[in-house]
Amino acid sequence: MVISKLKLSIIIIGVLTFLGMLALYIFWNPTETNIFPKCPVYGVTGIYCPGCGSQRAAHKILNGNIFEGIRHNYLIGLLGLVLSYQAFMFIMNNVLQKGIVNLLHKSKVTMGILVIVILFWILRNINLFPFTELAP
Amino acid sequence: MEQIKPPRPDSYLALAIISTIICCLPIGIVSIVYATKVNSLYADGNYDEAIRASKNAKTWGLVSVGVAVVGLLIYILIFGVAIFGALSNGNF
Repeated sequence: MVISKLKLSIIIIGVLTFLGMLALYIFWNPTETNIFPKCPVYGVTGIYCPGCGSQRAAHKILNGNIFEGIRHNYLIGLLGLVLSYQAFMFIMNNVLQKGIVNLLHKSKVTMGILVIVILFWILRNINLFPFTELAP
Repeated sequence: MEQIKPPRPDSYLALAIISTIICCLPIGIVSIVYATKVNSLYADGNYDEAIRASKNAKTWGLVSVGVAVVGLLIYILIFGVAIFGALSNGNF
């Protein structure tokens, strides 16, 4: 596979940025410092968006408090599930050549994920007991 | 007449979820909508449109991740550096 110089430099810059941000989120707690921006959607409208809480979650997860981190934004749990399922399917079908049907290729499953994300967005803005758990 | 199935276009679902989580602008939702379209169009046999939806899902996902990362970096460069400076001077 031939990778052009431009693509290679984009990849290198991307990896360096990723590592740099990882370090920032490991060493600084977004609730204690002001170096991280607040969510612009929340700042402007006062509505929690589906991504709110992900910076606090990243800090906690990177420091080993996985469950406490996921409580800030449950979508990270969903992402973890999807990524590990994709990795599992990749190993099964491309390495072990099993030819198993990938559930994520079914339109009902993707539709379900879309519904979950939108429901999550609506429910986390409801200020009543069971839903306050979803708030960032 | 049976049509030969072209390979399934990537739905970029994981990228769409990542962009929804890290990007505070809910553009990621648009990307998930396109990811959903890829699978349903492919299942219905609309292969060309599925490929187009796949490209859209990828573009929207990359744009929202890009906007989020660039915005974050600019914020940290402007405010973060100022705060670091204050911290190191002991004026916090």
